[in-house]
Amino acid sequence: MVVMAKTIDDERLVEQFKRGDESAFDRIVEQYSSDIAALSNRLLGWSGEVDDVVQDILFAAFLGLKKFRCESSLKTWLFTITVNKCRSYRYKRMLRLRRIYQVSRQAPLSSSPTADKTPMDSETFERVRAAIASLPSKYREPVVLRYLQELSTEEISGVLGISKNALQVRLNRARAHLREALAEELKGKL
Amino acid sequence: MEDKIKRLLQEADQKAGLPAPLSSNLSSVVRHRAHQRRFIRLAAPLAAAAVVLIAAGIWNHNTTKTKEEQRKIALLETQLNQLQAKTDAALDLIRAVLDEEQKQNKFDELDRLEAQLASIPDPLKEIEEQVDLTAFYLLGQADRLYRELNRTESAVETYNRLIELFPKNRWAKEARQRLSEIESKKFNKMYQKESINEIHKTLRHLADFAAVKHRAGTIS
Repeated sequence: MVVMAKTIDDERLVEQFKRGDESAFDRIVEQYSSDIAALSNRLLGWSGEVDDVVQDILFAAFLGLKKFRCESSLKTWLFTITVNKCRSYRYKRMLRLRRIYQVSRQAPLSSSPTADKTPMDSETFERVRAAIASLPSKYREPVVLRYLQELSTEEISGVLGISKNALQVRLNRARAHLREALAEELKGKL
Repeated sequence: MEDKIKRLLQEADQKAGLPAPLSSNLSSVVRHRAHQRRFIRLAAPLAAAAVVLIAAGIWNHNTTKTKEEQRKIALLETQLNQLQAKTDAALDLIRAVLDEEQKQNKFDELDRLEAQLASIPDPLKEIEEQVDLTAFYLLGQADRLYRELNRTESAVETYNRLIELFPKNRWAKEARQRLSEIESKKFNKMYQKESINEIHKTLRHLADFAAVKHRAGTIS
């Protein structure tokens, strides 16, 4: 019921925007920017600084919103843009890092996490991050969307533009990869 | 196992924390960017169109200018051609007049030369006269040697020299006549001499015969 109301609200915002009311976009940003930022942060390996990529995502959304036909939810559409932008952002970052490969190998991908809210030690965190970073995009994205964004199968397949079966296959393979990479950490969880 | 993985990932996510707070004016920044882009998209073709229009204007202006210049050039060329034709005609006329004048001058010169030539005595004639005079002088000298001084040998030599030097001269003919005269005189003289000698011989024979006859008669 809440979801339905939200969807109707989103559709109204989109309609307003299409009519030329740009304030509707402000409300969309207000509503979804934190989700977009969180997803971007996770897809980019908890880099912390996502302002630029979020701005790019919202810019793309602003340009494409008039063409949005509400066939999927606004959130799914925005997450699709986020995934795509993060892919290209990662790709660009990879190209950049390749140039300073040695330095990036010696230093961790980013500075220490912003906060220590859980008892997980930094070493374990780095290993988890490394395991996630080592996953190919097609496995990492379903994992992030499923376990961290906690989207439903339908939503994830909508965001990624793949079938549910394909999503399951990817998730299985990602899990197998993570089981292998994080065997020690997972043993400790037993 | 799926739950363990999920828990581990969520713990890591919690450990990582939230991303840095987004800028407060994110939507206005995005809108500004979009407006900028729209403006650029709108302005770029307009600017391009303006540039094209300006270029077309300049080109058109240049073309008009060029056409006008071309017309002027064509007019000037025509005028120049006309002037050239006139100049050529005038030059031809001058050339013809000069040629005519030159021809006239040449004729005058020829006339003058002819007059000069006419005033000059004919050298051939002069030479002929001189030759004739020389031959006449030689003949006179030879005649004098032959008739007055009676030096026939020298006269014959002079006649022969005259014939040798001026064989076709009229005085050479005279010299030849003189030589034939001398030859005939010489022959006559020689004939007379031989006749006399013959007579003397005959007379001597007759005398000898008479003497022999006398002597025989005497004896007998």
